[in-house]
Amino acid sequence: MGAYEKPTPRINPDNARFWESAHEGVLRLPRCGDCAAWHWPPGPICPACFSERIGWEEAQGHGTVSTWTVVHQDWFPAFKADIPYTVAQIELAEGVRLTADIVECPADKLRVGLPVEIVFDRVTETLTLPRFRPRRG
Amino acid sequence: MSEALRDKAAIVGIGTSKFGRHLPESQLALAAQAFKAALADAGLERGDIDGLSIHIGWPLGVDYDQVAQAFGLEIDFVNQAWTHGRFVTGSLQTAAMAVACGMARVVACVNVLSFTRERDILGGPHDFEGYRETGGTHAETPHYGLTAPAGGAALAMQRYMALYGATGAELAAVPVALRAHARLNPKAVMRKPMSVADHQASRMVVDPLRLFDCCIVSDGAAVVLVTAAERARDLGQRPVYIAGMQGMAAGRNEFIFAPPGLGINQQSGPRPASAAARDLAVYRSAGIPREAIQGLYTYDAFSPLVLFVLERFGFCAPGEAAAFVQEGRIGPGGALPVNTSGGLLSEAHVAGWNSLCEMVRQLRGEAGTRQIADARALQWATAWGDSVILRN
Ligand SMILES: [Zn+2]
Repeated sequence: MGAYEKPTPRINPDNARFWESAHEGVLRLPRCGDCAAWHWPPGPICPACFSERIGWEEAQGHGTVSTWTVVHQDWFPAFKADIPYTVAQIELAEGVRLTADIVECPADKLRVGLPVEIVFDRVTETLTLPRFRPRRG
Repeated sequence: MSEALRDKAAIVGIGTSKFGRHLPESQLALAAQAFKAALADAGLERGDIDGLSIHIGWPLGVDYDQVAQAFGLEIDFVNQAWTHGRFVTGSLQTAAMAVACGMARVVACVNVLSFTRERDILGGPHDFEGYRETGGTHAETPHYGLTAPAGGAALAMQRYMALYGATGAELAAVPVALRAHARLNPKAVMRKPMSVADHQASRMVVDPLRLFDCCIVSDGAAVVLVTAAERARDLGQRPVYIAGMQGMAAGRNEFIFAPPGLGINQQSGPRPASAAARDLAVYRSAGIPREAIQGLYTYDAFSPLVLFVLERFGFCAPGEAAAFVQEGRIGPGGALPVNTSGGLLSEAHVAGWNSLCEMVRQLRGEAGTRQIADARALQWATAWGDSVILRN
């Protein structure tokens, strides 16, 4: 297996817990300790009530496709072999939307509202990417 | 926005470089062509310029200090924005505010983009803004291969199509209309006729956006000179007044390439049934109603942005823009011509300043075969909710 050549996410104190959790195979999202609102992207303050009591809680790991695109352009050399590939926004059961890729789904099955579930793909020794596939069962 | 700045500032000079692809000139050299042309147009000397408002800096464009140094200017007021098209309106508005409140006498808005030389800055591996920890500003997520502003426009258009039943063939009416305008503009980079069939045959880039839904990658410069209204009346050109302004919207319900309520990123809640009061402030600011607007000018980097601005400002209701743009309504001689010099989709990508220059030409009556009859009030507005109304 060669070196991983695709871009990797930048990790900072606000989003580190998300990536650490993903590497453990768990989807955790920031949630307010005062008003209980989930929020995304991760930040130091609850955007709903302005509280600083932000915790990380395990999310259900499923939702629906709120929008999607199929990429046909080779903007990144490292993605060229994957073209065409699908990137979507997923509205999770918790109400926030993540941007991630969709796997195990033929292009003609893609639609707004498609139920999807998370899968974890360990791409390097230190990085696991959450991806989504059509929900089973 | 109050009426305090109504007609207090005016555009008194415009200038452009040549437009093209793979131009040999540096960004500074293109800026110099446009700067000299604008001074000549206004009847001003370079010593009259004491303010700079720069939209897009190095490396795609030029920074304010490079401009001042290279052109031998003595500058007392500077504004410079982020490397994104969205700051076109704010850069012009800041110039208007500076001259209206006396912080500068004449502000030069100097804008140059050499996209063919700096191709990787937006979308390629060197698009460092896409790596932002909270997500790129157009929803870029490079680790999933989503990059470039086009990706954000595609996500918004895909959902719009699902919600309203709009089609790619309907969207084609936008680039087809802008190409029809460009064919009347000898300066436009793209002048070959374009039909809906041509659009549908162009390659898919980011579904549902095809190649012809994406702005051209070009090089060029445009300079706009702004001064206070009382000074403008003493200069050589017929002044074009900045009648009204409103600023950009931001917040959790905003995504740069989607109208509020569409449901992109963290936008929540339904779409409002009609334009929001905050988006109609520009008409109150100018004292000019929307019904009096004779042409709309917008940041058309991707064809969906034209649909979204039409809905945002209430030219049509949410979900109706794809039908609104059919049958030549936004083309030459249409009921609401849009970007009459061809816009970013067909004239050149000078970050919208090419279209602002066109508005000035129209309001001076200098637009030749593209002239909007008896043009008196034209609107610049964007899908992200900022706007300027110009009048003569
Ligand atoms: Zn809270």
